[in-house]
Amino acid sequence: MDLRLTEAQEILKKMARDFLATECPKTLVRELENSEKGYSPELWGKMAELGWMGLVIPEKYEGMGYTFQDLAILLEETGRNILPGPLIPTVISTFSIIETGNEEQKKELLPKIARGEVIITTALLESEGTFNASGIAIKATSKGDDFTINGTKLFVEMAHVANYIICVTRTKDSTSPEKGITLFLVDSKTPGIHCEIIPTIAADKLCEVRFENVTVPKKNMLGIRDKGWPIVEMMLRKGAIAKCAESVGAMQTCIEMTVAYSKERVQYDRPIGAFQALQHIMADMWTSMQTSRYLVYKVAWMESEGQSCAKEASLAKAYVNEVYKNISKWAIRLHGAIGTSYDHDIQLYYRRSKAADTAFGSTDFHRELVAKEIGLI
Amino acid sequence: MDFELTEEQKAHRKEFFEVCNELEEKRPPSFIGFEATYSIDECWEFHLYCAREFGKRGWLALGWPPEYGGTGTIMDQVLFAEARGYHRISGYDIFGVQMLAPTLLQAASDEMKKEFLPPIARGEVMWCELWSEPNSGSDLATLTTTAIKKGDEYVINGQKIWNTGAHRADWGFGVFRTDPAARKHHNLTFLLLDMKTPGITVRPIPYMDGGSPFCEVYFDDAHVPAKNIVGQENEGWAAVNLLAGFERSGMVEIMSMLHELEELVKYCNETERNGQPLARDPIIRNRMAQLACELEAARSIAYRIADLQNRNEMALMDSSAAKIFYSELGERFAFLATDIAGPYGQVKASRWAPAHGAWEQAFQECFVTTISMGTNEIQRNIIAWYGLGLPRMK
Repeated sequence: MDLRLTEAQEILKKMARDFLATECPKTLVRELENSEKGYSPELWGKMAELGWMGLVIPEKYEGMGYTFQDLAILLEETGRNILPGPLIPTVISTFSIIETGNEEQKKELLPKIARGEVIITTALLESEGTFNASGIAIKATSKGDDFTINGTKLFVEMAHVANYIICVTRTKDSTSPEKGITLFLVDSKTPGIHCEIIPTIAADKLCEVRFENVTVPKKNMLGIRDKGWPIVEMMLRKGAIAKCAESVGAMQTCIEMTVAYSKERVQYDRPIGAFQALQHIMADMWTSMQTSRYLVYKVAWMESEGQSCAKEASLAKAYVNEVYKNISKWAIRLHGAIGTSYDHDIQLYYRRSKAADTAFGSTDFHRELVAKEIGLI
Repeated sequence: MDFELTEEQKAHRKEFFEVCNELEEKRPPSFIGFEATYSIDECWEFHLYCAREFGKRGWLALGWPPEYGGTGTIMDQVLFAEARGYHRISGYDIFGVQMLAPTLLQAASDEMKKEFLPPIARGEVMWCELWSEPNSGSDLATLTTTAIKKGDEYVINGQKIWNTGAHRADWGFGVFRTDPAARKHHNLTFLLLDMKTPGITVRPIPYMDGGSPFCEVYFDDAHVPAKNIVGQENEGWAAVNLLAGFERSGMVEIMSMLHELEELVKYCNETERNGQPLARDPIIRNRMAQLACELEAARSIAYRIADLQNRNEMALMDSSAAKIFYSELGERFAFLATDIAGPYGQVKASRWAPAHGAWEQAFQECFVTTISMGTNEIQRNIIAWYGLGLPRMK
């Protein structure tokens, strides 16, 4: 057991931190929040040069061939800085191609993803807003060699700029909702797809995507027909861990900003950070962050090693969801009124804590998975 | 970043678990919480028995230098703690083994190490801590029990309080005021005392549950050899801080809770209320899942501390954070378990009690660790002042 980063990981971390500080300042973050695109193609191109989208894509497909743990380290930095854009949706969706795509799909798409030429997202949730398979009603019916998709997906991150949308569809009715699910790589230029951006707290461009008689060729099916739910579970698991890593970075910034502010802000002839009530809150913020951090590192390592870690991923996501919201809330409170202003940076993190909470499974969803994993009947 | 244990560590861990599993089967039924060790005679006897079993395997001296009976590594200490915690086995003298021994290894003379460490390693001598006084708890440096030098002895007068197991211990380590005229923090001396010294009277304090793990200790002209000093005269505060730094990561408490959670799951699966197993109640599922999350988080920071200690690095901030976290988690666990049990949550060990009365016991004991070893409020101060660099108000 040695929990220090390797030298290569330290370099990755530092490079990411420096790059983001220069290339993605908060002025850009605000600009992108208020833009329709929600990301900067120019910045995306520079990230591609650093190999970020292809970080975990195998080298033979022009990726960096790094580990999931390395990805978690990178995402901690993007969380720390805030990086609007489709990095997480692309990277997580790409796992389904890496793990269940056929050779043709991998050859066709992975190099383009690694080069930053293809943005991908996954359309999972529907109107119920449940992460369970029971919420999948959108149908894909076969028509000769193709499939036709009809239905509406919600909360699809960056669908409006994605080149491909992985659509989780129901191809067969069954008594068990997890059966009869099939995933398709849908070219976003296919006629019949209508994207509309849902206004959300983090302005992260979660879209409603309506599929009206959208034709998908059979060759775009991912994995085995009717047996697609395990792919979804894999993406939820990896996405949950990835989101947790991002959140840990964000929490760190919240605490640093709050501690720094409390040392500067003077009231009653002293920095407000001298008051015990605030000191104890900040100590609690730090404690909850540090417990989150090592939990996330552990599960990222397990995922990296290919160890079975569905339980740990849910333990982490359920925990980190609440910790990030709590830390960012206290961060605002300890800034006083200024913390609520759009012009101040701290609220950027608070609003994202809610988005992070619901991405890849909200707290109650993961708590229910944990309840099953600890053996409750 | 690697969480994997080496093959050797895995083998050690397996052995620790096997031995503790066997000992668990011999544990008296009256042991329903670690405090019972000091309160109940047969539990104390069991504690001594386990101590000797561990002593003969060298497990009380893990990570010590071999010349004092040491074997294994600091990581072994952590793995052993996991096993003891999971199987809820005592036998590990927190005061002598956990706190005093590393302090002696760093601050004591060779002579003193040779005299005191081997019996600790063999599990033959049990210790108590003599720090707090009625008017000096968190602000320990204001203590007033005096140790006045007379020839080659110190003569001790005063009173200590909240001394866990002092009525059972063979020896005690304490800090006393040796120079009433000198300024605060530079007038204290760290001494080792034979608890059978004439002039020392121990009175158990009745705890709210009827047991008595904690005591008062009165000193009435107790003579202690001057050679029993640890470090320098009037510089005992340094030894106090050193000792406080050997904080537990809480691995024992955490693993114990993990086992209790398994038992709580079983209870919920097997107990019906309102026509269904408790396990089907969504509120219970949600609360228990949250507790499982927090336990895993506690375990993770414990490994972080283990990793730092394994490289002899300081873990002050993490230790304070871990202590706050696992102790308050213990409170939440006790509250949750007794809530889930409904009216049975209030029942003491008897044929009606769930978990042999362990949850009711936990409800009465759960805040002890939030108060002891530096209150959680003090720990929060430590994180704020020394970790986050926040200004200390005068």
